[in-house]
Amino acid sequence: MSECMDFGFLCNDPAPPNGRKVAIIGAGPSGLAAAGYLACLGYQVDVYDKLPRAGGLMAFGIPSHRIPQARVDEGIKRLKRKLGVNFHLRTKICCSVPLYEEEGDHFSADMRGLGDLVAGHDAVMICSGSWRSRKLNVPGEDLPGVYSSLQFLFPIRAVRYGAPNVSVPTVAGKRVAVVGAGHSAVDAAHSAVALGAAEVHVLYRRTSAEAPCGRFEIERMQDMGIRWHELVSPVAITGQGQVEAIELTQCHLGEPDATGRRCPLPDVSERLVLPVDVVIGAIGEIPTPPFSRELGLDNVRKGEVRWLHMTRIENVFVAGDALTGPSKIGKAVYSGLRAARSLTNWLDLKAQNRQAEYKYDDLIAKEARGFPGPPLHKEPGS
Amino acid sequence: MSDHKKLFIDYSQCIGCETCEAVCRFVNDLPRLHMTRTRDGVMLPVYCQHCEEPHCARACPRGAIVRDREGAVILQPMLCRGCETRQCIMGCLHSAIFETDQGVMVTKCDLCAPRRALGLPPACVAMCPTGAIRFVSAEEAEAAQTEASREARRRLEEHIRPALGPAGGKEGGRKSRG
Repeated sequence: MSECMDFGFLCNDPAPPNGRKVAIIGAGPSGLAAAGYLACLGYQVDVYDKLPRAGGLMAFGIPSHRIPQARVDEGIKRLKRKLGVNFHLRTKICCSVPLYEEEGDHFSADMRGLGDLVAGHDAVMICSGSWRSRKLNVPGEDLPGVYSSLQFLFPIRAVRYGAPNVSVPTVAGKRVAVVGAGHSAVDAAHSAVALGAAEVHVLYRRTSAEAPCGRFEIERMQDMGIRWHELVSPVAITGQGQVEAIELTQCHLGEPDATGRRCPLPDVSERLVLPVDVVIGAIGEIPTPPFSRELGLDNVRKGEVRWLHMTRIENVFVAGDALTGPSKIGKAVYSGLRAARSLTNWLDLKAQNRQAEYKYDDLIAKEARGFPGPPLHKEPGS
Repeated sequence: MSDHKKLFIDYSQCIGCETCEAVCRFVNDLPRLHMTRTRDGVMLPVYCQHCEEPHCARACPRGAIVRDREGAVILQPMLCRGCETRQCIMGCLHSAIFETDQGVMVTKCDLCAPRRALGLPPACVAMCPTGAIRFVSAEEAEAAQTEASREARRRLEEHIRPALGPAGGKEGGRKSRG
């Protein structure tokens, strides 16, 4: 029926222009869903993204055998043609940190300041995702041949856009170890096999019963010849100028931790050495919004805000993984839609100068209670 | 009857991203299709199949579940009395009627009736990143099935009805009945 991922799914045709302009930073699932929502209401929407193509990790992280690229592209085309959304690609909104620090920065040809966007639009929404990988924090992590899952997966899909310093890691004929058991670990292991690795090992500190990717995915990897090692944790990566082995310590499971999963406890005496040429750390990403401190994002996370999803800077909103940390496409889409709704409600109230009528401890907290996920707002009296 | 459309989800194409449940929640306040995690750790949405002979409708003592003009099996909250016996929930073979904490305490998919009235497809169909969810006639749904989709579907059915699944029939079935 519908051949595209229709980010403007809430309307057939956009409402007449309402005279308001919104800038959205980041063209991933949350940014595109927010763009669709606002464009349907008649907003003029400008979407900025550092990469040469919109779609975020749907286009550059998740392998194309999982998400058909054409479907995402068609949805973006509909946003442009039918809903009049303007895309400004290869444009990074900067920046308190040096460029080229995260995956994908190499493609940015233009840099704009957040201040310019705030001045030029009625509101700004930050949907910049989580693009910096969590480190393994073991000796030898800086050796050539050690990648994060994003460093490894991103170039596979990005290489055809031809930017300097972007090339597919060579793993053909090599022994590869993937650390972690989430979906990006599975994708990295599959991709390593597809790129011709001689051996692929997946290392996880808990057991298949706790693995976020689930037992079915693990069995499927094993069917492909991938070796699954559980209850092992890396303690060092060794080699002379190049990865030669990964040292592991055996673990056993202790009491459940804060996430409800039994926590792995290393048995320091039990050491294993696995000879490998490539190590891919797939243990999660960290949000990378611009101006995290200035925007008071920690306060937004804790719920110390004036308005749902609004940052410390008035009229600047935040949604998706930039706010919550790495999640799933669905959660990012939902966060983008909800933040977009909050943004329009805020601008409407402001237009009538009635912001004072609503304090976050009544209407907003009531709304927040109806939604899943970590609380975005303090409950009244807490 | 044959041109009536319903949802068909090809579970072999589903990546468990939860977008269907998220947009359903946004459109309907409470989702009417739910992600479940099977014992093997696969995330899949369970959804109403708008059956030809819906057990939920037969089980409802108030006749609150009926078929609408376009063939969708819908719950009419004005007739539902929220009975504690929850016969509709228990009658559904697909675990696709959901208990809630609001109103009549029961909700189910109506194929986005207000959206259909505007000529829009159900929200989950429109936003699925992989195209696994389709809004098709019964014949088209039949034709769209592949060996992979049947196999993936069997995995879900063994999870939601362990006593009926081929593997669960031997051990799991007996176990689940105590």
